[in-house]
Order: sequence, then structure tokens, then C-alpha cells
Amino acid sequence: MNKSKTPRELGLFQAVMIGLGGAVGIEIFVLLNYATYLAGPRIVLVLFVCGIINLLTMLSFCELGAAIPEVGGEYSYAKAAFGGFLAFLTGWFRWISNVFGAALAALGFAYHFLYFVPTNIIPVDESLLVALVAVAIIAVLTVLSIRGTMQMGAIIVIAFIAVFLVFIAAGILHGLELKLSYPTTLGESSNFVAAVTYTFLMFLGMRAIAAGGAVVKKPGKNIPRAIILSAVLLMVLYCGIAYVTISVVSLEEIAAPTALPLSIAAKEILGEAGAIILTIAGIVAALSSLSTAIMVQSSITRGLSRDGYLPKFLLSTHRRFKTPHIVIIFGSIFYILFAATGVVEFVGSVAAFASLLGFALVNLSLMKLRVKKPYLPRPFKVPLYPYTPIAGILVSLILLIFIEPRAFSLGIGLIALGLLAYYVKMVGYHRIRIAFGGVSLGIGGFTTFLAYRVGTGFTVPLALSPQLTTILFYFLIFVSIISILAGIFNIVSKG
Amino acid sequence: MKIRKFVVTFFGVTQEVIGALAIVFAYVLYYNILDIRINLEIPLEHVSVYLLLLFVFGFISILSGFFLIRERLELEGEGGL
Repeated sequence: MNKSKTPRELGLFQAVMIGLGGAVGIEIFVLLNYATYLAGPRIVLVLFVCGIINLLTMLSFCELGAAIPEVGGEYSYAKAAFGGFLAFLTGWFRWISNVFGAALAALGFAYHFLYFVPTNIIPVDESLLVALVAVAIIAVLTVLSIRGTMQMGAIIVIAFIAVFLVFIAAGILHGLELKLSYPTTLGESSNFVAAVTYTFLMFLGMRAIAAGGAVVKKPGKNIPRAIILSAVLLMVLYCGIAYVTISVVSLEEIAAPTALPLSIAAKEILGEAGAIILTIAGIVAALSSLSTAIMVQSSITRGLSRDGYLPKFLLSTHRRFKTPHIVIIFGSIFYILFAATGVVEFVGSVAAFASLLGFALVNLSLMKLRVKKPYLPRPFKVPLYPYTPIAGILVSLILLIFIEPRAFSLGIGLIALGLLAYYVKMVGYHRIRIAFGGVSLGIGGFTTFLAYRVGTGFTVPLALSPQLTTILFYFLIFVSIISILAGIFNIVSKG
Repeated sequence: MKIRKFVVTFFGVTQEVIGALAIVFAYVLYYNILDIRINLEIPLEHVSVYLLLLFVFGFISILSGFFLIRERLELEGEGGL
């Protein structure tokens, strides 16, 4: 196994492509319907506000990415600023956000793919199978060569930005009639902020530039430029797309839970051919997002592993392909697990939850570093300091209140899991292992006692036939032997 | 070293499988798949206790197995692939 340093090989263009590849991805295709359900005709305003809010924290990313151009993005910044618990927490939030973002891309791929498949061949319920296959294919491609898939990603991003521009231009030529007074119950005022929170995810992919800072040439110059360029391009594109979409299609049609809003709008503007092109663009966008997510996930996981929060074997790279194959497979398992929930709103909301908390911590890191390391070379500085990062923190925390409740609960649960991992790190892996060895030994002892009870004919609180009782007896014996021996191996391990 | 690798892998994987089976059984019990509660005559009020026991057992087995599998991966890292 090799543990080599990644070479700096990406210029400004590729850095912008990383940002756009992460952000101009599947989100615009799959989040627009629920956001329209929440905001109604004010969806364009929602996206504009969302872009501005994102830019607040992206400026912090610019300063930090240029000053600390290391693998790990915001995790590296929090580590330099605070170290310890807050650094771990930042990395953990980033990881959660990325994994749920990838699950969203897998689901988006499935929904768009099934547009072309008659439901009697693959029922829509089997979209999860399609999502799983997409994750597996992209993971394998990434293991084979990250460099190859990134180059492919840049071409793809350019291609579907072109598609979006054609879509907007064709919409304008088609003749737009913005229906601000559209008779609808959609978009009550209380849901406006909820829509901003939900669509926040559309801009998050730009962080990929900062996270991949270690492979960008002249990071002091290229990272800030790439982030600002990506942010402005995204705002223009998204607002244009949303404006065209709500102008040509009824809001109720867009807001339907399983609708593909861009495909519906393209069908209205360009006919069936337009719908097919936009659906293919959706498929490609999903694959591109998935590919970027895998790259960023591996970067974050390796950062956490390098610092001992996750096992060291995750740092390994494949001998032949020089790619972090174990991390890629590890992440892909989680993408599939979360995609299996099958609910876009839910998956998207959890990703937004973790991202917002991560954003707050990035701004906090910036402020801490300004005090802690005032002489750190900063090729780019956030304008209007300290108001910009303070505004970034406040807005992130306010938006958190509007996260979908189920997603909020799961987010809290995942934070608890993160705290457990941190506790393991603090207490020491070896001690935890001995503790679990002891518990396993205890379970083995208890199972032996149960087997004794079953074997000697004591009443079992289950209605079992004699044959089943015999099977249960042997199964309990087997489990007790395994648990006792596994417990002993864990206790006598060398750590 | 080879024997140790084999043994920790065997016990680790077996524990993982046992833990996963316990959680799958909890799922089957909760949703009463194949009328399992009726067939085993488990009263509804006892289901939560069974679920708790199965989840705790499954969770501990999976973690204990994970530690052994991790040891195997580390041994592999030391020996080279």
C-alpha cells in the first residue's frame, strides 16, 4: 500500500469546474419542485437570496482556502483555528453533508433515468435499485482513476451549462409571462425562509474547490477567483432557470412531489426533444455530482483518518491506480444506505442541516484565526470583516430553525454518533476495544446460560416445536462460542 | 501471523453476520412479517422488550466484529498487500 502526497495539478479553469461540477449538479433538477411548493412564484427571489447568503460564507472559504490550501477543506481550517473537538465536529458535519448530497445525486439519477424506462419494465418503486447501480458504477470509475473522471467531469460541466443557457434563451424567445399573481395556495410567507434553507444545497458544491485545495496550482490566487466566479455564475444560471420554468409551466405541475420541473418546462418550450435533452442533462448532472461527492468525501475521510478520528487503514491508496479505494468503497456504502430512504426532501434537508452547521463553524474558524494567527499569509481577505463572517454565522443558525423536523432529528442523532466517535478517540481505541471484548464475553456467558435453559427443558417464552427448540439450542451454543472467543480476542489484542 | 489473520477474520465476520441477523430478526418481529408474532405466540406488549434485547445484542456483536476485522486489515497493512 502507498501513502503518497497528492500532486498540485489543477489550474483556475479546473478549479472552477470542480466548483460548478459540485454545485451545478443534480440539485437544480430535483430540489426545484419542493422549493416551488414552499415558495410559490417567489422561487426566483428565494434563489437570489440563497446565492447572496452563500456568498457570505464563500468569502470566508476564499480567505481560508488561500491561506490554508490543504486536503480537507473546512476541516483543515477548523483544525488550524481550534484543533480538537471543534475541528472534528466541522469535519463530521462536512462528511454528513457530503454523504447525503451523494445520496441525493443517486436518487436524482434514478428519477431521471426512469423517465426513459416504461414503468412496466422497471417499476418506479425500483428506483432505489437504479440509484444503487449508479453509485457502484461511479465508485468503480473513481477507483480506476480519479484524474480520468475529473477530466471527464470538466467536459460534462461545460456541456450542461451550455444546455442551461440554451434552455434559458429558448424560454426567453418562447415568450415569458411571469405569473406572480398566479391563483395558488403555494408559497405562503412563512415558507419563504424554509425554501431558502432547502435550496441552500444548490450552492454548496462550490466548497469542493476549497476541499480540493491541495491539488490546485497557485492556491492563493486561484481558489478565491474560482469560488467567486462559481458563485456568480451559479446565481445567474439558477435564477434564469427558475424564472423560465415558472413562467412556462403551472406552479402546481412543477411542485408535484415526483415532478421533473426542468423536463416539464423544456417540453413546453422545445417539445419532446427538449424534455429528452434536459432529462439526459439531469442524468449527467447526477453522475457528475456523485463523482465530485466521492472525491470530496475521500478527502474529508482521509483528513479525519490522518488525525486519528477514523482508522488509519482508510488512508491507504490502491497500489496500481493510486486512488483511495478503501475510502471510496466505505463512503459508497453510506450513499446507498441513505439513498434507500427514497425521499428527496428528507435527504436534501439532512445535507442542508449539516452544511449550515459546517458553514457557521467555518466563519467561526476565520474569526479565530484572525486573532490566533494574525501574521498568517492571506492572499485574499474577507471584505467588511468582522461583519461578513458574523452575518454568515447568524444566517446559518437562523436557517437551521427552518429545517424539516425529521431531518433535524436525524441530524441531531448523527451529531450524537459523531460525539461517540470523538469519545472513542479521547478514551483510546484500545480501552474501548477491551470494554467491548468484555461485553462480548458477558453476552457469550449469558447465551450459554440460555442454551442450558433450553437444553434442560426449562420453559421458553416462545411457542417452538421440538425441532425448532433443538435448532435454537445449537444456535445458542454457536453464538456463545463465537461471542466468548471474539471477546477473548478483543481483550488480549495488542491494540 | 497467517493463523491469527484467519482466526480474527473468521470470528469478526461471524460476529458481524450474527449481529446483522439479530437486527433483521428485530425488523421481522416489529413488522410481523410472515406472522412471526402469531407463530411464536409473542404477546404484543412483549415485542418492545424483544426489540431492545435484539438491537443491543446486534449492535454489540457488530461493533465487536468490527474491531476484529479492523485488526485483520491492520495486520494486512503491516504485512503489505
